[in-house]
Amino acid sequence: MNKLAMLGWIAIALIAVGTVLGLAVLPADALQGEVQRLLYVHVPVAWVMMLAFFVVFLMSILYLVQRRLKWDLLAVSAAELGVLAAVLTLILGTLWGRPTWGIWWAWDPRVTTTALLVPIYTGYLVVRSMTEDPDRRARWAAVIGLIAFVQVPIVYLSVFWWRSLHQPPSSPQSMWSAYGLVMLLGFVAYTLAFAYLWLRRYRLAATELELELSGPEEG
Amino acid sequence: MSLAVAAEGVTRRFGRRWALRGVDLAVPRGAVVALLGANGTGKTTLLRLVSTLLRPTAGRLEVLGHTLPAGGDEIRARAAFMTAGGYAYEELTGVENLRFAARMSGTAAVDADLRDALAAVDLGGAADVPVRAWSTGMRRRLELARLGLRPLELVLLDEPFVSLDEDGVGLVHEAVRGWREAGAAVVIASHRVEDATRHADDVVRLAGGRVADVTP
Amino acid sequence: MSELPRRAAAILWKDILSETRTRQGFTAMLSFAALVLFMFSFAIGVDNDLLARLAGGLLWVAIVFTGTLSLGRTFQNEELAGGTHLLRLYPGDVRAIYLGKLAGNLVVLAALEIVLFPAAAILYGVDFAAQAGPLLLVAALGTFGFSVIGTFFSALTVHLRARELLLPLLLFPALVPVVLGSVGATEAFLAGDPLGRAGGWLRLLASYDVILFVVCLWIFPVVLEE
Repeated sequence: MNKLAMLGWIAIALIAVGTVLGLAVLPADALQGEVQRLLYVHVPVAWVMMLAFFVVFLMSILYLVQRRLKWDLLAVSAAELGVLAAVLTLILGTLWGRPTWGIWWAWDPRVTTTALLVPIYTGYLVVRSMTEDPDRRARWAAVIGLIAFVQVPIVYLSVFWWRSLHQPPSSPQSMWSAYGLVMLLGFVAYTLAFAYLWLRRYRLAATELELELSGPEEG
Repeated sequence: MSLAVAAEGVTRRFGRRWALRGVDLAVPRGAVVALLGANGTGKTTLLRLVSTLLRPTAGRLEVLGHTLPAGGDEIRARAAFMTAGGYAYEELTGVENLRFAARMSGTAAVDADLRDALAAVDLGGAADVPVRAWSTGMRRRLELARLGLRPLELVLLDEPFVSLDEDGVGLVHEAVRGWREAGAAVVIASHRVEDATRHADDVVRLAGGRVADVTP
Repeated sequence: MSELPRRAAAILWKDILSETRTRQGFTAMLSFAALVLFMFSFAIGVDNDLLARLAGGLLWVAIVFTGTLSLGRTFQNEELAGGTHLLRLYPGDVRAIYLGKLAGNLVVLAALEIVLFPAAAILYGVDFAAQAGPLLLVAALGTFGFSVIGTFFSALTVHLRARELLLPLLLFPALVPVVLGSVGATEAFLAGDPLGRAGGWLRLLASYDVILFVVCLWIFPVVLEE
């Protein structure tokens, strides 16, 4: 068994343990009830989303400095996972928000900013898919990957201020230690899962590029 | 430092398409080189690489003493590229087009100089007419006038003879002679073998993105 | 004049000259902006109080929608002339191109706003004139941020198929702080700024403007490589 596959199995095992602990072993939350269990997935997935977009940012800079397509492939692999994680975060968040806040959509700064990340990085992926020359594709994508990461914190801040005009943002949930530990397990598990999927996607992307470049020649 | 352009194994691919695969080329200063070859053999790509518009995928490309991608600014200050597609702003007149080029290039040309430059390519009468109303041949002449605005050490001409009448072709020959006498290197990519080779010191024939042969 | 502003001015002047020769683009843009203002009234109804209360937001949305159409054309005249990349062949710092085009977009948007602000004042029944000084500052900061980002993404999408769709996709999320800041400050000033919130919005706008301007200017040469 190679190292990458091992990483995958470890991630799956940890996610399984965390899920069993979160769903069956820990008692339901006193205030929020059963729905609070969603947070064991929601919060780590949201973390993976941020991690993924940070990776896109780093890989974009590396590409712009070194101009090696490898960095571009690593960036796009992370971007796809980031968009997936963002959509998952939003779905889980609204499922949690409806019973907790009483509304599907609260215009919470985190929710709103996450929702804005989806079109930003979809734009990133669409620009890539529409550009045939791999060098141009990588260059434009890297520029978007870089600038998106610069704008996101300010987008968050502005939504936060805008929101705070109407109602103070929800205070973070205090958790007793067993919750905290399962949550920590979730962070580790989903981070490993991200690393596994990212590297797998990268290998696939590298193979795709190789095929693209070695395919029947034109001109 | 006698070479204006020195290429070693220069390769450029656009995804699946290899435009150039390992081109070696030497253009001495003060020489005229004709670049021949069928459509799609890489002539334009080679000129775009030398002009600093494109980066090579692999290989070493030295232009006017700078190894690309370094020194782009210094190269652009001393080299010029006449593209096959032309370059002119439709809504601007001949003089206004030249004035813009002069300002962008940082030359000290005043309006009288610009009008002289237009008159030199037989465009004196069209100086104040928007380019929109011009013929393709007149636009070609405008390009010649634009190249003549500043002193050059390397001139890259992509299909300079297309759409020009006899007088116009004569103007190109005259300009090429002038540049060579001033010590500049001139690279002419063209299908018009006779015109392209008239002043050529070297004739480089491209085929399939490679140098097929070089004949002095 | 030193090299960078001189070449930026050359681009600005050339674009203004071209635009004044045709004027079609600008006329169409103004008509479109007027229609957007009307559309809001149609959608909201003739509730004068409601319209007056929403005026700041409606006005800025109209500016962003109309401005996006106009910003998308930033490099169209270069493409028609032979290709945006040919500007790179001129010796000197490529950033002059960004600065020149940015200045052009500022001029166009300013001209748009000179018409839109009074139009919105009349249609929605608000008194912008009473707060002319502060609103001018808001408009300046908002317009600058809009142009900084718009010019940059316009250069990035100029070679793409379906750029009419991609430009807003990239632009709108990036404009969130600009829109929130401009609308927030506009509404605060119109209400006489009872809670002292306008200053915060102005600082947000100014910081975002500066950060994005520096980043866009710094990275622009990469965008313009062919």
